[in-house]
Amino acid sequence: MSGGIARGRLAEERKSWRKNHPHGFVAKPETMPDGTVNLMIWHCIIPGKVGTDWEGGFFPLTLNFSEDYPSKPPKCRFPQGFFHPNVYPSGTVCLSILNEDSGWRPAITVKQILVGIQDLLDQPNPADPAQTEGYHLFIQDAVEYKKRVRQQAKQYPPLV
Amino acid sequence: MADSAEEFEPLFDYSRVQPPSVVCLDDEDSDADKSPAPFTKRAKIVNPAATSSVNGNPKEKQVEIEDKEEDWLPPPPKVLVDAENRHVEDSTLKELRLKKQELASVALSAKNLLREVEESAKVDVGNTSMDPLEPDLDVQTPVASKERAKIVISVRDSDKEELKQYRLFVDDKFERLFKLYADKLKIDPKSLVFVFDGDKVGPDDTPGGLGMEDDDMIEVNIKSS
Repeated sequence: MSGGIARGRLAEERKSWRKNHPHGFVAKPETMPDGTVNLMIWHCIIPGKVGTDWEGGFFPLTLNFSEDYPSKPPKCRFPQGFFHPNVYPSGTVCLSILNEDSGWRPAITVKQILVGIQDLLDQPNPADPAQTEGYHLFIQDAVEYKKRVRQQAKQYPPLV
Repeated sequence: MADSAEEFEPLFDYSRVQPPSVVCLDDEDSDADKSPAPFTKRAKIVNPAATSSVNGNPKEKQVEIEDKEEDWLPPPPKVLVDAENRHVEDSTLKELRLKKQELASVALSAKNLLREVEESAKVDVGNTSMDPLEPDLDVQTPVASKERAKIVISVRDSDKEELKQYRLFVDDKFERLFKLYADKLKIDPKSLVFVFDGDKVGPDDTPGGLGMEDDDMIEVNIKSS
């Protein structure tokens, strides 16, 4: 069964994350109320890059791993309605390395996924829009776009 | 005599002690005494002396060594020599005894030296393992020592790539680490925020209480107040 592979790999990912990870990032598997850990769902936080309009925001992201991981990429979701040209209204992130038919490779680590999404925040890909509002403002009204991004960063202050 | 010698041989490895002393003795004799007559005479006696020492000495030697191992106090070898001398008047034997004594003292000093080195090494090891006990909580790269109550935690500065590793007790309050860290940076501990897995670490938290494992990483943020 591939489920064994997925959980084994995720346990390793978690282990290496605990030992070392980029500053400001959080990535931990879901803990049930009874204390058991569900390795298939990870709750993460991506910090906005310093020096960008995203700075100061700590954006929650959920990774949903399937039993086919790491053959298939996890589904990565921001909160619903997240403002970004490449985020679907559902919050799902549209990024080439997260696309099974495009850039995903089983060797890509959780760390690489999260850093990749952090990069995407300030460098949207206008060739692959996923929501109308973010996309239109990005290509038509840079000032308003900037304002919205900064506003959103304030909505997600650091938890600590 | 030969029989008893054979009996003792397996008890004490004589090849280590005896041959050099015999050889040494022969050399000195040939140098010191130029007359050939006593030399040949002695050469004959040397062998019986050696065998007699094989018979008599192994016990004594063993006792000596055992004493050393027990309390490291060298028993006075002179008593042995004197006792021997009463029975055996021959000067070669005396010389042999003296040589033996010399050798023994050399061996002893070598042992002492070894012991000193060992002890100093022990002290070093003790120092390193004792350091975390000190109230200051010394910083150091851990030497892969994983004792039960201790844990190694990496700390990452917000602006630095490298991780600094600290060793503390599982039930140590983080307060101490905070203070140490703030002192190093020469800033107010209150302006430091330590984060483990997205949660703030309080001064009363302990690594054990937060379910930390060896090599877990915590992050430091400096509040810009």
